[in-house]
Amino acid sequence: MEGEDKEMSKVFVRSAGLIPVGEYWEKSIGELMYEAASKAIESAGDVKIDRIIVGNMFSGYGTHQEHLGALLASVLGMAGTEALKVEAACASGGMAVHEGYLSVKSGEYKNVLVVGVEKMKDIDTGHLTKALAMAESAEFTQAVGATFISLNALLMGAYMQRYNVPEDQLDYFPVIAHKNGATSPHAQFRRAVSLDDVKRSPPVAPPIRLLSSAPSGDGAAAVILSSEKGDVEMLASETATNELMLFQRDNPLEFKATKAAFAKAIKRAEITKDKIDFIEIHDAFPVVSALSLEAMGFSEEGKAGRDAESGKYNLDGELPIATFGGLKARGHPVGATGVYQVVEAFYQLTEKGGKNQVQGAKVGATQNVGGVDTTSVVHILRRVS
Amino acid sequence: MLPISYWRNRKIYTRLLGSRCKKCGAEFFPPVKVCKKCGSREMEELEMPKTGVLVSFTKLTEPSYEFEEYVPLYLGFIRLDNGVQLVAPLADVVEEELKPGARVEATVRKWAEDGEEGIIFYGYKFRVVKQP
Amino acid sequence: MKHNSAILGYGAYVPRYRIRTEEIARVWQGGGSGPNKMKAIASQDEDILTMSYEAAVQALRMAGSGPIQAILVGSESKPYAVKPTGSILSDILGFNQTLAVDLEFACKAGTEAMQMISGMVSSGVIERGLAIGADTAQGRPADDLEYTAGSGAAAVVIGRRNGNEVARIEYSVSYVTDTPDFWRRPTRPYPSHLGRFTGEPAYFHHITSSVKQLLSDTGLKPEDFTYAIFHQPNPRFPVEVGRRLGFTDAQLRPGLLNEIIGNTYSANTLVALSAVLDESKKGDRILLASFGSGAGSDAFVIEVNSKPDDDGYIPLKERLKNYIEVDYSIYARWRGKIRK
Repeated sequence: MEGEDKEMSKVFVRSAGLIPVGEYWEKSIGELMYEAASKAIESAGDVKIDRIIVGNMFSGYGTHQEHLGALLASVLGMAGTEALKVEAACASGGMAVHEGYLSVKSGEYKNVLVVGVEKMKDIDTGHLTKALAMAESAEFTQAVGATFISLNALLMGAYMQRYNVPEDQLDYFPVIAHKNGATSPHAQFRRAVSLDDVKRSPPVAPPIRLLSSAPSGDGAAAVILSSEKGDVEMLASETATNELMLFQRDNPLEFKATKAAFAKAIKRAEITKDKIDFIEIHDAFPVVSALSLEAMGFSEEGKAGRDAESGKYNLDGELPIATFGGLKARGHPVGATGVYQVVEAFYQLTEKGGKNQVQGAKVGATQNVGGVDTTSVVHILRRVS
Repeated sequence: MLPISYWRNRKIYTRLLGSRCKKCGAEFFPPVKVCKKCGSREMEELEMPKTGVLVSFTKLTEPSYEFEEYVPLYLGFIRLDNGVQLVAPLADVVEEELKPGARVEATVRKWAEDGEEGIIFYGYKFRVVKQP
Repeated sequence: MKHNSAILGYGAYVPRYRIRTEEIARVWQGGGSGPNKMKAIASQDEDILTMSYEAAVQALRMAGSGPIQAILVGSESKPYAVKPTGSILSDILGFNQTLAVDLEFACKAGTEAMQMISGMVSSGVIERGLAIGADTAQGRPADDLEYTAGSGAAAVVIGRRNGNEVARIEYSVSYVTDTPDFWRRPTRPYPSHLGRFTGEPAYFHHITSSVKQLLSDTGLKPEDFTYAIFHQPNPRFPVEVGRRLGFTDAQLRPGLLNEIIGNTYSANTLVALSAVLDESKKGDRILLASFGSGAGSDAFVIEVNSKPDDDGYIPLKERLKNYIEVDYSIYARWRGKIRK
């Protein structure tokens, strides 16, 4: 996305829709997409969708269903419309929004429906764990039994040593997420937890505990991106990659993808980072929250936990994060998460935040990663005054 | 794991076969096609040193279905003596011995079995070096 | 059979885990103990391939670089019923231009491997080969054998004599009969045996037969040996057979390990050989006699030459001190006696 082209369109978020993250035993992946997409379509007014992009990580493995683009077009009664699926592990949703952004930005499409979806509850834990591990190398990460959570656990151990940070300082991140989730109508876990609750929860991959790990859930979220002027403009959509394998990086503690995507986004949006009023970060695990905030320069290296403890990232703090509960409390239906983040930013910037409203929010950002910062997608959105 | 994938990678799994850049000498595990340091595509096979240090570890009780027989599964973030880093299963674990910086050495153990009738997957595991 | 070969390197591997026989007795008899104190058990991720690898790596390092043109693995607990352990091991060790065969003869498959490799070297067919005995022995729960059936592996690199060899294999004798003392049918998990019949007609008859023949052929007498190693299915049998053949406790003691590791089956006498070679010196003569149910015995005369030049080598008995005890439930889980 280097260079500027005056002919290119501006990109607006025309409408948004989502379903609460949860367990939808009675609904198929097609029905999940249908519900979220219908909400976005119904609130978009008179609109003709000319492209459908679905973000999803493992529908083939998890539900035996591929070809999600055509599936969604069919269930919406829109067969004939151009449609495709985008996959970038847990960043699939963010990447789908990015592709939708580029579609509109290019001037080729006027209204693009972007849906993020994941059905995680149709398979047992052992297979779900396998599906999530597919974000890293099949032959060299999965083969040795390393799961996605174990990579993050090893990273957290290394972080705590490198910066001499105690576990419970990082555990402020789930406390913040759950506090916001308690009043979030679409959160999977609508209850607050204390630092003690986190510390006392069972270890699932020490030092990561049950309450410091994003849950699994079914979910779908949708946005319609449009060249037609709306209330929220997408100022930037940028992505970058890091080495696929966490431990093949010189410094696993450096989130280079997030750093690069964020730097490009700031430049593209022509703002400084202090103009950002809130950010939906990819808070799958405390160490991911910390390294993300540090990579984007909101906290100094090794200091994100301390900043979380100080209240900086609370809903009424200097830079609210996870304003509707984040991955930890709103839920993390992996391939849908990046779209949930954009929907939530849209809610904040259109004063639809209810009890979770960030007062006076004018500029919001989202950061969605796939793998352990292997793919990072950053969006910057602005309220059109 | 897929049996044919296991067969293809068996030397990497059992001998820690990695690669070295012929131009700048940088070493990698698992092997790479293009040097991550200098961009050269001239790589040669190189067995990694079998010793290193433990940086961090975790104890996994909910592995993927393929490893459920083996819980708890201990995994280590290991830095080999040539500086190459990897994640590896740990063998013969006594948790008190898993101190950051502990010396570890590679051995070959069973990783998993492809079901009761399938093939057995063998590969590297690391254990703490304990002088008697 | 006169041999013209040498042991160039040796290695023994005993898993880190032990179970006390009083723990086994607690489960099945409500108390007491077994004939031995404890036995070595393979961890859940170990089998005879991984244990053979550990022993082979030691033996090959001691032997130094050179070809390995035959790898024979003796075992009665192969990971596959059909698929050679030898070829997996060859591939891991990086020797592909090699004969690779698995052997089975109850507890004497390891010394069979040694006989055959030595024979190939002595005849000039190969330069160097690797002989291995390894087992994760199966003891039926509550059976007498459960107290002793242990896990371990031993490897010997045998090659042409070069003056720097660890020891020379001088002579061997094999003696076999059809004796149904102990067996296992193809699809059964545990072996069967005939109790006390495994003693006199089996163990004692075959070992005394092979050793007497060996002494007769070579003109050697018990006092000509510094060490004597007899198969040790329990702590008592090797001492008893040694006494009957005219050997002293002092000759036997350095190789007696059953008390702390149990019966490692195909690895049994080769693990003991490792312990003896660890403390022997140039000029020492070793008598080694294995026993395999079914039944047979291989007896060898081995002459010690020089100490191996290997700084990193830790003697077996030192390594055996670094063990972890587990209880019956962990042992039962690891060895597949309880299943999910």
